[in-house]
Amino acid sequence: MNPEPFLQLDRVIHEKGRLAIMSMLAATTELSFTEMRDTLNMTDGNLTAHIRTLQESGYVSVTKAFQGGRPLTTYTLTAQGKKAFAAYINLLEQIVQQTRKTQ
Amino acid sequence: MESNWAAEHLQVIRTLMERAAVYRRALAPVMLLTGVVGLVAAVAGCFFQIDSPRAFVGYWIGVSVIPLAGAVFLVRRQSLKDGDPFWTPPMRRVTLALLPPVAAGFIGSVILLIHLRGLDANAADVLGRLWLPLGWIVLYGCALHAAGFFMPRGMKLFGWIFVLGGCGLFALGIPDLPRATYTHGVMGLFFGGLHLAYGVYLYFTEKNET
Repeated sequence: MNPEPFLQLDRVIHEKGRLAIMSMLAATTELSFTEMRDTLNMTDGNLTAHIRTLQESGYVSVTKAFQGGRPLTTYTLTAQGKKAFAAYINLLEQIVQQTRKTQ
Repeated sequence: MESNWAAEHLQVIRTLMERAAVYRRALAPVMLLTGVVGLVAAVAGCFFQIDSPRAFVGYWIGVSVIPLAGAVFLVRRQSLKDGDPFWTPPMRRVTLALLPPVAAGFIGSVILLIHLRGLDANAADVLGRLWLPLGWIVLYGCALHAAGFFMPRGMKLFGWIFVLGGCGLFALGIPDLPRATYTHGVMGLFFGGLHLAYGVYLYFTEKNET
């Protein structure tokens, strides 16, 4: 089996928590901190840490605003993030197909 | 084994993407409110004998404003409580899905309201008692079904109940009942009773889930 697709997998996205965040953001234009935290059952600290990593990689952008006098933080995938996520999915599909062929 | 690992990852991604795109805000309270308003309005309609087709249309259009405004209030309240934006992408999708059948029902009713004046009593009776309430029910079912693609928990099935129930009553024709009893009874059954039952179901299953 060719190990190349596996080696090409983006390590930033490949982590379970960050993959979940990327998947959710890929499905919608924006999500708030609470929506993501509640859906993914993550702690505030865990989610913040993962988002910081994704932000530093240029995959996620953060918008801070106020709604009804309360802070509202929303997240979106950047163009780079969308591209990286699509590439990650393509590689996963390649791995699945490649292994099926060898079986 | 390798294939399983990658396939499982893809399945998790698919599930999360679906979950992120689904609307799930204040469903039970909105259904309960709509059910209560529907039942009260049906009883009041029967009690006050609102039975001329024009009065019936005006009355129910007026009644529909109450759950609509209540739904906006409940959703807004929950979004503020959760610290989420009000106009989220799932909310936008659900609204856009609901819009065509709801608009068709509203526009059709207004046109009917205008034309009812020139019709003879028998034609007005058929339109007012059969076509109008059952047309509303079928169109509302279509709206629920369309929105159900972006909503969880049986919304599409709930839409089908309206569509099939409305069509079934069409097939049965006008029963030998007083006009107000039949028309308001049908409205109360569908917009009151069914919403209330679905709201109770959602309320308890949501509680169990949490």
